[in-house]
Amino acid sequence: MKNLPWTSLFIIITMLFMAVFAPVISPHSPIDQTLADKLIPPVWEEGGNAKYLLGTDVFGRDVLSRLFYGARVSMIVSALTLLVGGGVGLVIGIVSGYVGGRLDNLLMRIVDAALAFPAILFALLLAVTMGQGLRTIVIAISLLLWARFARVVRGEVLAVKQRDFVSLARVHGCSPVRIMVTHILPNVMNTFMVLLTLYVGVVIVAEASLSFLGAGIPPPTPSWGLMVAEGRGKVASAWWISLIPGIAITLVVLAFNLFGDWLRDRLDPKLRQL
Amino acid sequence: MRHRGLLKGCLFSLLLALAWTAVAAEKQQGTLIVAIDTLGAQSMDPIQETRSAHAHYQAPMYDAIVGFNFEKGGAGPGVAERWELAKDGLSWIFHIRKGMKWHNGDPVTAHDVKFSLERTMSKESIASRGPGLRRDVKSIDVIDDYTVQVHTNGVQVHFAEGLSRATYQEGQLMPKKYIETVGAEGFRKKPIGSGPWKFVKSVPGDRIEYEAIDYPHYRGTPHFKRMILLLVPEESTRVAMVSTGEAAIASISPEAIRESKAAGLRVVSVPGTMQAIYQMYGLYLPESQKNPLADKRVREALSLAIDRKQIIEHVMYGEAKMPMPFATFDYSVDDDTERWQNWSREAFRYDPKRAKQLLAEAGYPNGFELKFASTALAGTPFMVPIGLAVADFWRRLGVKVKYTNYEYGSFAPMLRGEQKQLVGVVSMYRTAGRPAAAARFYGAFHSKGAHHLLGRGKDCPKLCKTFDELHKAVTVEQDPVKRTEKTNRMIELVSNEWFAVPILEGMGYWAVNPRKVGAFKAIPGRHEFGDLFQRMPRPEQKPW
Amino acid sequence: MRRYILRRFLQGLVLLVLVATIVFFLGRLTGNPADLMLPEDALEEDRVALIETLGLDGPLHKQFGIFLANALRGDLGDSIRHREPAVDVFFSRLPNTLKIVPGTMALALILAIPLGILSALYRGRMIDRVSGAIGVLGIATPNFWLGILLIYVFSVQLGWLPSARMGGPQHYILPTITLGTFLVAGFMRLIRSSMLEVLDSEFVKLARIKGLSETIVVWKHCLRNALIPVLSLWGVLMGGLVTGAIVTETVFAWPGIGRLTYEAVIFRDYPLLQAVIIMDAVLIVIINLVVDILYAYVDPRIRLAE
Repeated sequence: MKNLPWTSLFIIITMLFMAVFAPVISPHSPIDQTLADKLIPPVWEEGGNAKYLLGTDVFGRDVLSRLFYGARVSMIVSALTLLVGGGVGLVIGIVSGYVGGRLDNLLMRIVDAALAFPAILFALLLAVTMGQGLRTIVIAISLLLWARFARVVRGEVLAVKQRDFVSLARVHGCSPVRIMVTHILPNVMNTFMVLLTLYVGVVIVAEASLSFLGAGIPPPTPSWGLMVAEGRGKVASAWWISLIPGIAITLVVLAFNLFGDWLRDRLDPKLRQL
Repeated sequence: MRHRGLLKGCLFSLLLALAWTAVAAEKQQGTLIVAIDTLGAQSMDPIQETRSAHAHYQAPMYDAIVGFNFEKGGAGPGVAERWELAKDGLSWIFHIRKGMKWHNGDPVTAHDVKFSLERTMSKESIASRGPGLRRDVKSIDVIDDYTVQVHTNGVQVHFAEGLSRATYQEGQLMPKKYIETVGAEGFRKKPIGSGPWKFVKSVPGDRIEYEAIDYPHYRGTPHFKRMILLLVPEESTRVAMVSTGEAAIASISPEAIRESKAAGLRVVSVPGTMQAIYQMYGLYLPESQKNPLADKRVREALSLAIDRKQIIEHVMYGEAKMPMPFATFDYSVDDDTERWQNWSREAFRYDPKRAKQLLAEAGYPNGFELKFASTALAGTPFMVPIGLAVADFWRRLGVKVKYTNYEYGSFAPMLRGEQKQLVGVVSMYRTAGRPAAAARFYGAFHSKGAHHLLGRGKDCPKLCKTFDELHKAVTVEQDPVKRTEKTNRMIELVSNEWFAVPILEGMGYWAVNPRKVGAFKAIPGRHEFGDLFQRMPRPEQKPW
Repeated sequence: MRRYILRRFLQGLVLLVLVATIVFFLGRLTGNPADLMLPEDALEEDRVALIETLGLDGPLHKQFGIFLANALRGDLGDSIRHREPAVDVFFSRLPNTLKIVPGTMALALILAIPLGILSALYRGRMIDRVSGAIGVLGIATPNFWLGILLIYVFSVQLGWLPSARMGGPQHYILPTITLGTFLVAGFMRLIRSSMLEVLDSEFVKLARIKGLSETIVVWKHCLRNALIPVLSLWGVLMGGLVTGAIVTETVFAWPGIGRLTYEAVIFRDYPLLQAVIIMDAVLIVIINLVVDILYAYVDPRIRLAE
């Protein structure tokens, strides 16, 4: 446990705590408006109010409570997206790499197509087609992720495939499915875990960019990205609306990336292209 | 002797001309830079633009047949100094201003008017009122160089107002001889108009540049020498550009008002540009009768539960007004403005107690579930925060609001035909500020209208039929007094039913850098400044 | 080698057809431009008339047939909004986007190379951690927000730089930073890992045994080899660049293809959308092809594998 990235871990755990206990620790509702209390600065600023520690936004909603609930939304989006996008990428990567041949060629061309398609554009198209919402975002960002996962996992599988225990299993007459599940999968799990941590940041930032383009989590549900996007025009007169969630995003993405880097160096130092 | 007189005359006029040029040259200087959120299709051919962006970028160089009432808003003299409806009501006669010229020096005549209308109605035109004009106009006669007679299909009492940019874009005047000489392609590449600004160049997706004319024009001769309209899509960037002086004026939304004032900018609000409303669909259908919204008391309760003053104060930063009834404004023609101002004060009050009571009387003391579709039409993004605030007031009334946000392009298709996905749904909508309300009433309530809120086809209950008849009566009534009386009845009919309810009267907002441009006054109801740029003084000049 | 190129070329073509098909149908699911062109109180018959004028009537499969037939002849249709050939619109905006690319790449490499080398040389130490953090900062901040903050600080508050729009050299600084920082992390990670690989290799060990100074070993032998894999990242990065350009060009009012793409989606300008995405894909296919060929020349192992 030497050299554990303590700072990163601390930030990640704090975010998870906020996300899980948002209903308990939030002093106010994240969506109910108190128009008369709009744009109150944080408590340490002039004009601040102890009732709203981090101030209020344009609808008089408590920024602190929205930050807590926003952590929850951002975490749900990340978790679902990585589960779907990462999962699909993992399966396709393993199959493509292990089976090889024509199938591999076909799958990799599809991966190329997916990578060639500007991801955010696809998300935007989906959002205007299906309407904004969690489902749209998860599908859209998953479409962005799976190809990247598949490519890296496939590369790993190609290396694992050459190892003795796989040949041995094949000689013993194990079915391809069984080999993929029991021999290949555990050996690419390290890589997969590293990818997961590194891509949490990508998901959170992609969600924010979608919010900026008007295709993110629909209001009034708070997500960090939406909060930054909503407050972006008020950097001069009400900095806290966008700066607080903005810093939260930066810290969390940084923490996940550094943690991922650390994990990679532990588990899989040669992994590249992330 | 006579020769000497002539010589003197010539000299005198030469001197005059020189003096005028000198004055003009001295008068016109500097560049007016304007940052706006959209340049629309950015085509300088009027028949290739469909939406209100024309009033930003086409209006500076093209005149419209009917102009503006600069004080009150609505229609006023334009290229046509005056116009009248023929006795039989079946044609309009326009008297064209004399002495106007195109940017190439050709005179503006009645032939140009006929040509422009016909070009707008032609098949190659995608101007949005094109099909409407094809329906309404039977034929156009040039009576003499300065008189045009437009024969209409049936009585069209609001035809003239429709040719003003206060209403639509389709009255814009194009040069007949020039287009016939250089062709449509040549015209698009090097367009000329008759307005106070000459076209210089257009860089797609970036900007349009103009140069001021140096001769008198009925709309005014520009004080600046050049003008550039910049396309800057991101609002915070527009505000930054005006703060730094990179632009003199920028279009903003109410959310940027506070920011702009904090940066020392002047905020200009154009009154009466739009009405933010909510409306309910398909409640006339037999299967909707179980929907709580089918009960008039519930609908009224929803309106009473909204504190419009709070929304105006906090969501619109004080820069909005209590609304008039559906689709009417201070500058509306045909209705009794004062009566409706008074009515609105009472009807649109905030009365949560009465709202709760009405809800209980209707049998929903514990509220009900309401589907609310929020959307924002182009140019008015603030409809979303207004919708959020309205939803919050309804939540406080005890209604369980199921809120969904739609990008307008995905919302619009649901409005069509049977509106299956919208039956029983409340949605945000808006009315653009226009002097004649009848067309908007038709679109919202008529059984053949676009939204048909009261009924459609065979599902046209009594209210729907009454409205259809009343609307017909309004649009063919030639006597102004009787038309006002009928219009009032039409307004009364729908206002008391609460199917389409105004939330507030919005404005058009601009951030202005006082070091770059002097004080000016907007035209009520016209958000865009295309008809106004020539009047804007330089900062050192007297305010206009 | 020729067969290899030919095969990659054919694969590229298949990819284009695939992308074109997806865009055609997905685009049409998003709504109809007529709805966005008509005023609020337009009648159903006005709508029908406009759709006819725009040439958007008729069953979908017929439209697709026409689209494909025209596309094969190199005609991607007229933009609905701009009323001119969509491909022309695309090419009138492309140079503006390309103008920020060299600076962006330069910035990304200038930051990424030293950071990558440092963290590889001092792997696991504090300096590795710090360089990692600096590199990641670019992707850890949503770049629309970074752009807005940069404008606020450097234009509005300090008055040093213009806030937006194309113009003289100083106009390029803020957009370049906004777009460039976004790429640093990717480059840096790649340089770091390939440096680690090279540092570990036999010939570097040999060079060290020969007594060459550490500076020469790092700069001459390692870096050159470590930069080769960076080439392969180009194709992927182009996709990222288009994404970044949509946001950056919106913030900085930059009339490039990113902004054009966004407007095509929002306006449901199908022909333009199709043209933009197909042309994007063509660019990416070409870049990938060139990279692959270069790669095959630089690194003989790939040629052998084929």
